[in-house]
Amino acid sequence: MRASAHYLALMLFVTVLAIWLAAMAIIMRHAALPPEASGLMLAVFEPGTSEDEAFAGLTQAGARVVRPSGLGFIWVVAGDEPGLAGRLTRAGALGAYRDLPISPVIAGCFAVADAKLARLAP
Amino acid sequence: MSTSASRALSWYQTTTALIVAGCLVAIVNFGVRSTFGFFTVPISDAHGWPREIFSFAMAVHNLVWGLATPVAGMLADRYGSARVLMAGAVIYCIGVLMMAFTETPFMFNVGGGLLVGVGVAFSSFSIVMAALGRIVPPERRSWAFGIATASGSMGQFIFAPLGAALISAYGWQNALIILAGLSLLIILFASPLMIQNTSSAPRTAGEADLTMRQAIGTAFGHGSYLLLVSGFFVCGFQLAFIVVHMPPYLTEHGISKEFAGFAMGLIGLFNVIGSYAAGIIGGRHQKHVPLAFIYLLRSGIVAAFVLLPVSNLTTLAFTISMGLLWLSTVPLTMGLVTVMFGTRYMATLYGFVFVSHQLGSFLGVWLGGRLYDQYGSYDIVWWLSVALGVFAFIVHLPIREQRATRFAPA
Repeated sequence: MRASAHYLALMLFVTVLAIWLAAMAIIMRHAALPPEASGLMLAVFEPGTSEDEAFAGLTQAGARVVRPSGLGFIWVVAGDEPGLAGRLTRAGALGAYRDLPISPVIAGCFAVADAKLARLAP
Repeated sequence: MSTSASRALSWYQTTTALIVAGCLVAIVNFGVRSTFGFFTVPISDAHGWPREIFSFAMAVHNLVWGLATPVAGMLADRYGSARVLMAGAVIYCIGVLMMAFTETPFMFNVGGGLLVGVGVAFSSFSIVMAALGRIVPPERRSWAFGIATASGSMGQFIFAPLGAALISAYGWQNALIILAGLSLLIILFASPLMIQNTSSAPRTAGEADLTMRQAIGTAFGHGSYLLLVSGFFVCGFQLAFIVVHMPPYLTEHGISKEFAGFAMGLIGLFNVIGSYAAGIIGGRHQKHVPLAFIYLLRSGIVAAFVLLPVSNLTTLAFTISMGLLWLSTVPLTMGLVTVMFGTRYMATLYGFVFVSHQLGSFLGVWLGGRLYDQYGSYDIVWWLSVALGVFAFIVHLPIREQRATRFAPA
Protein backbone atom coordinates (compact mmCIF):
# COMPACT_ATOMS: atom_id res chain seq x y z
CA MET A 1 0.00 0.00 0.00
CA ARG A 2 1.43 3.35 -1.00
CA ALA A 3 2.08 5.97 1.66
CA SER A 4 -0.16 8.39 -0.25
CA ALA A 5 -3.15 6.17 0.52
CA HIS A 6 -2.49 6.38 4.24
CA TYR A 7 -1.89 10.10 3.91
CA LEU A 8 -5.28 10.44 2.23
CA ALA A 9 -6.92 8.51 5.06
CA LEU A 10 -5.13 10.60 7.67
CA MET A 11 -6.05 13.88 6.01
CA LEU A 12 -9.67 12.80 5.60
CA PHE A 13 -10.05 11.85 9.24
CA VAL A 14 -8.19 14.90 10.54
CA THR A 15 -10.34 17.20 8.39
CA VAL A 16 -13.55 15.51 9.53
CA LEU A 17 -12.43 15.76 13.17
CA ALA A 18 -11.63 19.46 12.71
CA ILE A 19 -15.08 20.14 11.23
CA TRP A 20 -16.66 18.13 14.02
CA LEU A 21 -14.81 20.09 16.72
CA ALA A 22 -15.90 23.37 15.12
CA ALA A 23 -19.51 22.17 15.01
CA MET A 24 -19.31 21.01 18.62
CA ALA A 25 -17.91 24.41 19.63
CA ILE A 26 -20.85 26.21 18.03
CA ILE A 27 -23.43 23.86 19.54
CA MET A 28 -21.83 23.96 23.01
CA ARG A 29 -22.04 27.78 22.92
CA HIS A 30 -25.77 27.42 22.43
CA ALA A 31 -25.93 24.88 25.25
CA ALA A 32 -24.34 27.36 27.68
CA LEU A 33 -26.87 28.66 30.16
CA PRO A 34 -27.51 32.35 30.91
CA PRO A 35 -26.91 33.52 34.52
CA GLU A 36 -30.63 33.52 35.36
CA ALA A 37 -31.09 29.84 34.48
CA SER A 38 -32.12 27.21 37.01
CA GLY A 39 -33.05 23.52 36.92
CA LEU A 40 -30.84 20.60 35.89
CA MET A 41 -27.42 21.61 34.61
CA LEU A 42 -23.81 20.62 34.14
CA ALA A 43 -21.42 22.67 36.28
CA VAL A 44 -17.81 22.75 35.17
CA PHE A 45 -14.88 24.08 37.15
CA GLU A 46 -11.28 24.69 36.18
CA PRO A 47 -9.66 21.32 35.38
CA GLY A 48 -7.61 20.25 38.36
CA THR A 49 -10.07 21.71 40.87
CA SER A 50 -10.32 19.24 43.73
CA GLU A 51 -13.59 17.54 44.54
CA ASP A 52 -13.74 19.36 47.90
CA GLU A 53 -13.20 22.79 46.34
CA ALA A 54 -15.80 22.15 43.67
CA PHE A 55 -18.27 20.81 46.23
CA ALA A 56 -17.75 23.91 48.36
CA GLY A 57 -18.56 26.05 45.32
CA LEU A 58 -21.71 24.05 44.60
CA THR A 59 -22.85 24.40 48.21
CA GLN A 60 -22.18 28.14 48.16
CA ALA A 61 -24.29 28.47 45.00
CA GLY A 62 -27.13 26.48 46.54
CA ALA A 63 -26.87 23.67 43.97
CA ARG A 64 -28.09 20.16 44.71
CA VAL A 65 -25.78 17.42 43.43
CA VAL A 66 -27.65 15.08 41.06
CA ARG A 67 -24.67 12.94 40.12
CA PRO A 68 -20.89 13.22 40.06
CA SER A 69 -19.06 12.66 36.77
CA GLY A 70 -16.11 10.75 38.08
CA LEU A 71 -13.96 13.85 37.57
CA GLY A 72 -13.84 16.27 40.50
CA PHE A 73 -14.34 19.38 38.38
CA ILE A 74 -17.47 18.24 36.51
CA TRP A 75 -20.84 17.82 38.29
CA VAL A 76 -24.44 17.39 37.27
CA VAL A 77 -26.45 19.60 39.62
CA ALA A 78 -29.93 21.04 40.02
CA GLY A 79 -31.64 23.91 41.76
CA ASP A 80 -35.10 25.45 41.56
CA GLU A 81 -34.27 29.03 42.52
CA PRO A 82 -33.67 31.29 39.50
CA GLY A 83 -30.10 32.43 38.94
CA LEU A 84 -28.37 29.14 39.77
CA ALA A 85 -26.09 29.34 36.70
CA GLY A 86 -24.95 32.83 37.70
CA ARG A 87 -24.37 31.83 41.32
CA LEU A 88 -22.28 28.87 40.16
CA THR A 89 -19.97 31.08 38.11
CA ARG A 90 -19.67 33.52 41.01
CA ALA A 91 -18.76 30.55 43.23
CA GLY A 92 -15.87 29.64 40.96
CA ALA A 93 -17.37 27.54 38.17
CA LEU A 94 -16.14 28.15 34.64
CA GLY A 95 -19.67 27.82 33.36
CA ALA A 96 -23.02 26.06 33.49
CA TYR A 97 -24.51 24.08 30.61
CA ARG A 98 -27.69 22.24 29.81
CA ASP A 99 -27.28 18.60 30.79
CA LEU A 100 -26.14 16.49 27.85
CA PRO A 101 -27.49 12.94 27.54
CA ILE A 102 -24.00 11.48 27.29
CA SER A 103 -21.30 10.66 29.80
CA PRO A 104 -20.79 13.81 31.95
CA VAL A 105 -17.05 13.33 31.53
CA ILE A 106 -17.30 13.74 27.75
CA ALA A 107 -19.92 16.47 28.02
CA GLY A 108 -17.85 18.22 30.68
CA CYS A 109 -14.72 18.18 28.55
CA PHE A 110 -16.55 19.93 25.71
CA ALA A 111 -18.10 22.34 28.22
CA VAL A 112 -14.71 23.21 29.74
CA ALA A 113 -13.28 23.84 26.26
CA ASP A 114 -16.23 26.08 25.41
CA ALA A 115 -16.05 27.98 28.71
CA LYS A 116 -12.33 28.61 28.17
CA LEU A 117 -12.95 29.81 24.61
CA ALA A 118 -15.81 32.04 25.79
CA ARG A 119 -13.51 33.67 28.33
CA LEU A 120 -10.88 34.32 25.67
CA ALA A 121 -13.42 36.00 23.41
CA PRO A 122 -13.49 39.83 23.61
CA MET B 1 -12.21 3.54 -13.97
CA SER B 2 -14.72 1.73 -16.09
CA THR B 3 -16.22 4.75 -17.82
CA SER B 4 -14.59 6.16 -20.84
CA ALA B 5 -11.01 6.85 -19.90
CA SER B 6 -10.56 9.11 -22.85
CA ARG B 7 -12.98 11.70 -21.47
CA ALA B 8 -11.32 14.37 -19.34
CA LEU B 9 -12.31 13.96 -15.71
CA SER B 10 -13.25 16.85 -13.43
CA TRP B 11 -11.49 17.03 -10.06
CA TYR B 12 -14.52 15.59 -8.31
CA GLN B 13 -14.45 12.57 -10.61
CA THR B 14 -10.91 11.51 -9.78
CA THR B 15 -10.51 8.26 -7.89
CA THR B 16 -9.33 10.12 -4.80
CA ALA B 17 -12.35 12.42 -4.83
CA LEU B 18 -14.69 9.47 -5.31
CA ILE B 19 -13.16 7.63 -2.37
CA VAL B 20 -13.48 10.73 -0.18
CA ALA B 21 -17.09 11.20 -1.34
CA GLY B 22 -17.91 7.59 -0.50
CA CYS B 23 -16.33 7.95 2.93
CA LEU B 24 -18.37 11.08 3.64
CA VAL B 25 -21.55 9.21 2.72
CA ALA B 26 -20.57 6.45 5.15
CA ILE B 27 -19.87 8.98 7.92
CA VAL B 28 -23.30 10.62 7.62
CA ASN B 29 -25.18 7.33 7.14
CA PHE B 30 -23.73 5.68 10.21
CA GLY B 31 -23.52 8.88 12.18
CA VAL B 32 -27.12 10.03 12.12
CA ARG B 33 -28.51 6.67 13.23
CA SER B 34 -25.94 6.43 16.03
CA THR B 35 -27.65 9.38 17.78
CA PHE B 36 -31.06 7.74 18.06
CA GLY B 37 -30.44 6.23 21.48
CA PHE B 38 -30.30 9.74 22.97
CA PHE B 39 -33.86 10.39 21.84
CA THR B 40 -35.38 7.51 23.79
CA VAL B 41 -36.09 9.49 26.94
CA PRO B 42 -37.10 12.89 25.48
CA ILE B 43 -39.44 11.42 22.84
CA SER B 44 -40.99 8.92 25.24
CA ASP B 45 -41.47 11.62 27.87
CA ALA B 46 -42.86 14.18 25.41
CA HIS B 47 -45.55 11.80 24.15
CA GLY B 48 -46.13 10.02 27.46
CA TRP B 49 -45.18 6.72 25.83
CA PRO B 50 -43.59 3.74 27.54
CA ARG B 51 -40.01 3.15 26.39
CA GLU B 52 -41.18 0.05 24.55
CA ILE B 53 -42.63 2.11 21.69
CA PHE B 54 -39.33 3.79 20.90
CA SER B 55 -37.42 0.53 21.39
CA PHE B 56 -39.80 -1.32 19.07
CA ALA B 57 -39.33 1.29 16.34
CA MET B 58 -35.57 0.93 16.66
CA ALA B 59 -35.87 -2.86 16.52
CA VAL B 60 -37.99 -2.53 13.37
CA HIS B 61 -35.43 -0.16 11.87
CA ASN B 62 -32.62 -2.66 12.46
CA LEU B 63 -34.62 -5.51 10.99
CA VAL B 64 -35.75 -3.49 7.97
CA TRP B 65 -32.16 -2.30 7.47
CA GLY B 66 -31.08 -5.93 7.19
CA LEU B 67 -33.92 -7.03 4.93
CA ALA B 68 -33.71 -3.98 2.67
CA THR B 69 -29.96 -4.23 2.13
CA PRO B 70 -30.12 -6.94 -0.58
CA VAL B 71 -32.89 -5.00 -2.32
CA ALA B 72 -30.78 -1.85 -2.16
CA GLY B 73 -27.87 -3.92 -3.45
CA MET B 74 -29.88 -5.22 -6.41
CA LEU B 75 -30.96 -1.69 -7.31
CA ALA B 76 -27.40 -0.39 -6.91
CA ASP B 77 -26.04 -3.15 -9.12
CA ARG B 78 -28.73 -2.45 -11.69
CA TYR B 79 -28.94 1.34 -11.67
CA GLY B 80 -25.70 2.42 -9.99
CA SER B 81 -24.85 3.14 -6.37
CA ALA B 82 -25.25 6.92 -6.54
CA ARG B 83 -28.94 6.84 -7.45
CA VAL B 84 -29.69 4.37 -4.66
CA LEU B 85 -27.69 6.40 -2.15
CA MET B 86 -29.59 9.55 -3.12
CA ALA B 87 -32.97 7.85 -2.89
CA GLY B 88 -31.90 6.42 0.46
CA ALA B 89 -30.97 9.89 1.72
CA VAL B 90 -34.42 11.23 0.90
CA ILE B 91 -36.16 8.28 2.59
CA TYR B 92 -33.81 8.57 5.59
CA CYS B 93 -34.62 12.29 5.88
CA ILE B 94 -38.38 11.72 5.73
CA GLY B 95 -38.11 8.97 8.35
CA VAL B 96 -36.16 11.18 10.75
CA LEU B 97 -38.59 14.07 10.20
CA MET B 98 -41.48 11.73 10.98
CA MET B 99 -39.73 10.84 14.24
CA ALA B 100 -39.82 14.55 15.08
CA PHE B 101 -43.42 15.28 14.16
CA THR B 102 -45.56 12.17 14.51
CA GLU B 103 -47.93 11.96 17.43
CA THR B 104 -48.96 8.31 17.31
CA PRO B 105 -46.92 5.16 17.97
CA PHE B 106 -47.99 3.67 14.63
CA MET B 107 -46.73 6.60 12.60
CA PHE B 108 -43.58 6.74 14.73
CA ASN B 109 -42.90 3.14 13.77
CA VAL B 110 -43.55 3.92 10.12
CA GLY B 111 -41.07 6.81 10.26
CA GLY B 112 -38.43 5.75 12.77
CA GLY B 113 -38.75 2.05 12.02
CA LEU B 114 -39.71 1.40 8.42
CA LEU B 115 -38.57 4.53 6.57
CA VAL B 116 -35.37 5.03 8.55
CA GLY B 117 -34.57 1.32 8.12
CA VAL B 118 -35.05 1.53 4.35
CA GLY B 119 -33.19 4.85 4.22
CA VAL B 120 -30.23 3.51 6.18
CA ALA B 121 -30.07 0.41 3.97
CA PHE B 122 -30.26 2.37 0.73
CA SER B 123 -27.63 4.90 1.79
CA SER B 124 -25.43 2.44 3.66
CA PHE B 125 -21.72 1.91 3.40
CA SER B 126 -22.24 -1.44 1.69
CA ILE B 127 -23.67 0.47 -1.28
CA VAL B 128 -20.74 2.87 -1.02
CA MET B 129 -18.29 -0.02 -0.95
CA ALA B 130 -19.90 -1.53 -4.04
CA ALA B 131 -19.24 1.74 -5.84
CA LEU B 132 -15.68 1.94 -4.55
CA GLY B 133 -15.09 -1.70 -5.50
CA ARG B 134 -15.80 -0.83 -9.11
CA ILE B 135 -13.87 2.42 -9.09
CA VAL B 136 -10.56 1.42 -7.53
CA PRO B 137 -8.17 -1.11 -9.04
CA PRO B 138 -8.20 -4.60 -7.48
CA GLU B 139 -4.93 -4.08 -5.61
CA ARG B 140 -6.39 -1.09 -3.74
CA ARG B 141 -9.86 -2.53 -3.27
CA SER B 142 -9.35 -3.95 0.21
CA TRP B 143 -7.85 -0.69 1.40
CA ALA B 144 -10.85 1.18 -0.06
CA PHE B 145 -13.22 -1.14 1.83
CA GLY B 146 -11.18 -0.50 4.96
CA ILE B 147 -11.30 3.28 4.71
CA ALA B 148 -15.04 3.21 3.94
CA THR B 149 -15.72 1.01 6.97
CA ALA B 150 -13.46 3.16 9.12
CA SER B 151 -15.41 6.20 7.95
CA GLY B 152 -18.67 4.62 9.05
CA SER B 153 -17.07 3.91 12.41
CA MET B 154 -15.87 7.49 12.64
CA GLY B 155 -19.40 8.66 11.87
CA GLN B 156 -20.67 6.75 14.87
CA PHE B 157 -17.90 8.14 17.04
CA ILE B 158 -18.38 11.81 16.16
CA PHE B 159 -22.14 11.98 15.71
CA ALA B 160 -22.97 10.51 19.12
CA PRO B 161 -21.74 13.52 21.13
CA LEU B 162 -22.95 15.84 18.36
CA GLY B 163 -26.48 14.44 18.64
CA ALA B 164 -26.42 14.74 22.42
CA ALA B 165 -25.22 18.34 22.18
CA LEU B 166 -27.91 19.16 19.60
CA ILE B 167 -30.61 17.86 21.94
CA SER B 168 -29.15 19.83 24.80
CA ALA B 169 -28.79 23.08 22.88
CA TYR B 170 -31.92 23.09 20.71
CA GLY B 171 -34.31 20.47 22.11
CA TRP B 172 -35.03 16.99 20.76
CA GLN B 173 -37.42 18.06 18.02
CA ASN B 174 -35.09 20.64 16.48
CA ALA B 175 -32.20 18.20 16.90
CA LEU B 176 -34.07 15.66 14.78
CA ILE B 177 -34.82 18.29 12.13
CA ILE B 178 -31.13 19.20 11.99
CA LEU B 179 -30.15 15.52 11.74
CA ALA B 180 -32.73 15.01 8.98
CA GLY B 181 -31.13 17.92 7.13
CA LEU B 182 -27.67 16.43 7.65
CA SER B 183 -28.83 13.13 6.17
CA LEU B 184 -29.54 14.99 2.92
CA LEU B 185 -25.80 15.72 2.67
CA ILE B 186 -25.59 12.16 1.36
CA ILE B 187 -27.13 13.42 -1.91
CA LEU B 188 -24.32 15.93 -2.29
CA PHE B 189 -21.61 13.44 -1.35
CA ALA B 190 -23.04 10.70 -3.58
CA SER B 191 -23.28 12.85 -6.69
CA PRO B 192 -19.66 12.28 -7.85
CA LEU B 193 -20.34 8.54 -7.75
CA MET B 194 -22.80 8.94 -10.62
CA ILE B 195 -19.99 8.03 -13.00
CA GLN B 196 -19.45 4.57 -11.52
CA ASN B 197 -20.15 1.40 -13.42
CA THR B 198 -23.45 -0.49 -13.26
CA SER B 199 -24.54 -3.87 -14.53
CA SER B 200 -26.06 -2.24 -17.56
CA ALA B 201 -22.56 -1.22 -18.55
CA PRO B 202 -20.35 -3.73 -20.36
CA ARG B 203 -19.01 -6.38 -17.99
CA THR B 204 -15.52 -5.82 -16.74
CA ALA B 205 -12.62 -8.06 -17.68
CA GLY B 206 -12.47 -11.37 -15.85
CA GLU B 207 -16.19 -11.55 -15.08
CA ALA B 208 -18.75 -13.94 -16.57
CA ASP B 209 -21.91 -12.63 -18.20
CA LEU B 210 -24.59 -13.74 -15.74
CA THR B 211 -28.00 -12.28 -15.02
CA MET B 212 -28.70 -11.15 -11.47
CA ARG B 213 -30.98 -14.13 -10.87
CA GLN B 214 -28.26 -16.50 -12.09
CA ALA B 215 -25.69 -14.72 -9.97
CA ILE B 216 -27.76 -15.05 -6.79
CA GLY B 217 -28.61 -18.68 -7.51
CA THR B 218 -25.01 -19.54 -8.21
CA ALA B 219 -23.77 -17.75 -5.10
CA PHE B 220 -26.14 -19.69 -2.87
CA GLY B 221 -24.86 -22.90 -4.42
CA HIS B 222 -21.29 -21.93 -3.67
CA GLY B 223 -19.96 -23.50 -0.47
CA SER B 224 -17.53 -20.74 0.45
CA TYR B 225 -20.26 -18.11 0.16
CA LEU B 226 -22.51 -20.08 2.50
CA LEU B 227 -19.66 -20.36 5.00
CA LEU B 228 -19.18 -16.60 4.80
CA VAL B 229 -22.90 -16.00 5.32
CA SER B 230 -22.96 -18.27 8.38
CA GLY B 231 -19.85 -16.64 9.84
CA PHE B 232 -21.21 -13.12 9.50
CA PHE B 233 -24.21 -14.13 11.59
CA VAL B 234 -21.77 -14.46 14.51
CA CYS B 235 -20.44 -10.96 13.94
CA GLY B 236 -23.94 -9.53 14.26
CA PHE B 237 -24.71 -11.62 17.32
CA GLN B 238 -21.58 -10.60 19.21
CA LEU B 239 -21.69 -6.89 18.43
CA ALA B 240 -25.39 -6.35 19.07
CA PHE B 241 -25.23 -8.26 22.33
CA ILE B 242 -22.32 -6.14 23.54
CA VAL B 243 -23.89 -2.82 22.46
CA VAL B 244 -27.18 -3.47 24.21
CA HIS B 245 -26.27 -5.63 27.19
CA MET B 246 -22.73 -4.58 28.07
CA PRO B 247 -23.68 -1.31 29.86
CA PRO B 248 -26.11 -3.01 32.28
CA TYR B 249 -23.61 -5.87 32.74
CA LEU B 250 -20.95 -3.37 33.75
CA THR B 251 -23.14 -1.44 36.18
CA GLU B 252 -24.28 -4.73 37.68
CA HIS B 253 -20.62 -5.46 38.41
CA GLY B 254 -19.99 -2.17 40.14
CA ILE B 255 -18.73 -0.07 37.23
CA SER B 256 -20.23 3.43 37.29
CA LYS B 257 -22.64 4.39 34.49
CA GLU B 258 -20.37 7.28 33.59
CA PHE B 259 -17.31 5.05 33.24
CA ALA B 260 -19.31 2.46 31.33
CA GLY B 261 -20.43 5.16 28.87
CA PHE B 262 -16.86 6.35 28.46
CA ALA B 263 -15.57 2.80 27.94
CA MET B 264 -18.26 2.06 25.34
CA GLY B 265 -17.27 5.25 23.53
CA LEU B 266 -13.74 3.88 23.20
CA ILE B 267 -15.11 1.02 21.10
CA GLY B 268 -16.05 3.57 18.44
CA LEU B 269 -12.65 5.20 18.46
CA PHE B 270 -10.64 2.00 18.23
CA ASN B 271 -13.09 0.64 15.68
CA VAL B 272 -11.84 3.30 13.24
CA ILE B 273 -8.27 2.03 13.63
CA GLY B 274 -9.25 -1.64 13.47
CA SER B 275 -11.42 -1.28 10.37
CA TYR B 276 -8.75 0.61 8.50
CA ALA B 277 -6.04 -1.86 9.51
CA ALA B 278 -8.23 -4.79 8.42
CA GLY B 279 -8.55 -3.24 4.97
CA ILE B 280 -4.76 -3.02 4.68
CA ILE B 281 -4.26 -6.57 5.94
CA GLY B 282 -6.87 -7.86 3.49
CA GLY B 283 -4.95 -6.29 0.64
CA ARG B 284 -1.69 -7.95 1.61
CA HIS B 285 -2.77 -11.42 2.71
CA GLN B 286 -5.51 -13.93 2.05
CA LYS B 287 -8.64 -12.47 3.59
CA HIS B 288 -10.27 -15.53 5.10
CA VAL B 289 -7.38 -16.29 7.47
CA PRO B 290 -7.30 -12.92 9.29
CA LEU B 291 -11.10 -12.97 9.26
CA ALA B 292 -11.12 -16.36 10.98
CA PHE B 293 -8.62 -15.15 13.56
CA ILE B 294 -10.65 -12.02 14.28
CA TYR B 295 -13.49 -14.28 15.44
CA LEU B 296 -11.11 -16.46 17.44
CA LEU B 297 -9.57 -13.39 19.08
CA ARG B 298 -13.02 -12.06 19.95
CA SER B 299 -13.80 -15.38 21.65
CA GLY B 300 -10.55 -15.24 23.60
CA ILE B 301 -11.18 -11.65 24.70
CA VAL B 302 -14.76 -12.36 25.77
CA ALA B 303 -13.67 -15.48 27.67
CA ALA B 304 -10.91 -13.58 29.47
CA PHE B 305 -13.27 -10.74 30.33
CA VAL B 306 -15.89 -13.07 31.78
CA LEU B 307 -13.33 -15.09 33.74
CA LEU B 308 -11.48 -12.10 35.21
CA PRO B 309 -12.99 -9.91 37.93
CA VAL B 310 -14.72 -6.90 36.34
CA SER B 311 -12.82 -3.69 37.06
CA ASN B 312 -12.23 -0.37 35.32
CA LEU B 313 -8.98 -1.77 33.96
CA THR B 314 -10.47 -4.98 32.53
CA THR B 315 -13.39 -2.97 31.12
CA LEU B 316 -11.02 -0.63 29.31
CA ALA B 317 -8.92 -3.54 28.05
CA PHE B 318 -12.08 -5.26 26.79
CA THR B 319 -13.60 -2.26 25.03
CA ILE B 320 -10.32 -1.21 23.40
CA SER B 321 -9.52 -4.69 22.13
CA MET B 322 -13.09 -5.35 21.00
CA GLY B 323 -13.11 -1.92 19.35
CA LEU B 324 -10.09 -2.93 17.27
CA LEU B 325 -11.95 -6.06 16.13
CA TRP B 326 -15.42 -4.45 15.91
CA LEU B 327 -16.13 -3.78 12.21
CA SER B 328 -12.77 -5.15 11.05
CA THR B 329 -14.74 -8.12 9.71
CA VAL B 330 -16.51 -5.91 7.15
CA PRO B 331 -13.71 -5.04 4.69
CA LEU B 332 -12.52 -8.65 4.76
CA THR B 333 -16.02 -10.06 4.23
CA MET B 334 -16.78 -7.59 1.44
CA GLY B 335 -13.38 -8.38 -0.04
CA LEU B 336 -14.14 -12.10 -0.07
CA VAL B 337 -17.46 -11.51 -1.81
CA THR B 338 -15.60 -9.56 -4.47
CA VAL B 339 -12.91 -12.22 -4.88
CA MET B 340 -15.53 -14.95 -5.29
CA PHE B 341 -18.00 -13.14 -7.50
CA GLY B 342 -16.37 -10.01 -8.91
CA THR B 343 -17.75 -6.49 -8.63
CA ARG B 344 -20.78 -6.68 -10.89
CA TYR B 345 -23.24 -8.02 -8.33
CA MET B 346 -21.24 -7.32 -5.19
CA ALA B 347 -23.81 -5.02 -3.57
CA THR B 348 -26.52 -7.66 -4.00
CA LEU B 349 -24.41 -10.57 -2.82
CA TYR B 350 -22.97 -8.66 0.14
CA GLY B 351 -26.55 -7.62 0.92
CA PHE B 352 -27.53 -11.24 1.48
CA VAL B 353 -24.49 -11.75 3.73
CA PHE B 354 -25.62 -8.71 5.68
CA VAL B 355 -29.09 -10.17 6.22
CA SER B 356 -27.36 -12.95 8.13
CA HIS B 357 -25.51 -10.31 10.19
CA GLN B 358 -28.76 -8.59 11.12
CA LEU B 359 -30.45 -11.86 12.05
CA GLY B 360 -27.49 -12.47 14.35
CA SER B 361 -27.94 -8.97 15.78
CA PHE B 362 -31.58 -9.60 16.47
CA LEU B 363 -30.84 -12.88 18.22
CA GLY B 364 -27.94 -11.38 20.19
CA VAL B 365 -30.14 -8.63 21.59
CA TRP B 366 -33.19 -10.77 22.15
CA LEU B 367 -31.44 -13.82 23.62
CA GLY B 368 -29.37 -11.56 25.87
CA GLY B 369 -32.52 -10.21 27.48
CA ARG B 370 -34.45 -13.47 27.38
CA LEU B 371 -31.76 -15.56 29.05
CA TYR B 372 -30.98 -12.82 31.54
CA ASP B 373 -34.63 -12.77 32.60
CA GLN B 374 -34.62 -16.56 32.92
CA TYR B 375 -31.31 -17.07 34.71
CA GLY B 376 -30.59 -13.66 36.23
CA SER B 377 -27.18 -13.56 34.58
CA TYR B 378 -25.57 -12.80 31.24
CA ASP B 379 -23.03 -15.60 31.66
CA ILE B 380 -24.81 -18.04 29.34
CA VAL B 381 -24.93 -15.54 26.50
CA TRP B 382 -21.32 -14.51 27.03
CA TRP B 383 -20.27 -18.16 26.70
CA LEU B 384 -22.60 -18.63 23.74
CA SER B 385 -20.81 -15.70 22.15
CA VAL B 386 -17.46 -17.42 22.81
CA ALA B 387 -18.71 -20.66 21.27
CA LEU B 388 -20.11 -18.86 18.23
CA GLY B 389 -16.77 -17.09 17.76
CA VAL B 390 -15.00 -20.47 17.69
CA PHE B 391 -17.65 -21.70 15.23
CA ALA B 392 -16.99 -18.69 12.99
CA PHE B 393 -13.23 -19.34 13.19
CA ILE B 394 -13.78 -22.92 12.06
CA VAL B 395 -16.16 -22.10 9.19
CA HIS B 396 -13.94 -19.36 7.77
CA LEU B 397 -10.80 -21.47 7.50
CA PRO B 398 -12.00 -23.71 4.61
CA ILE B 399 -13.23 -20.76 2.51
CA ARG B 400 -11.63 -20.96 -0.93
CA GLU B 401 -10.37 -17.55 -1.83
CA GLN B 402 -10.80 -17.71 -5.58
CA ARG B 403 -13.34 -16.79 -8.24
CA ALA B 404 -16.41 -19.06 -8.13
CA THR B 405 -16.49 -21.34 -11.16
CA ARG B 406 -19.54 -19.89 -12.93
CA PHE B 407 -18.38 -16.33 -12.23
CA ALA B 408 -15.16 -16.83 -14.14
CA PRO B 409 -15.31 -15.90 -17.83
CA ALA B 410 -15.86 -18.76 -20.24
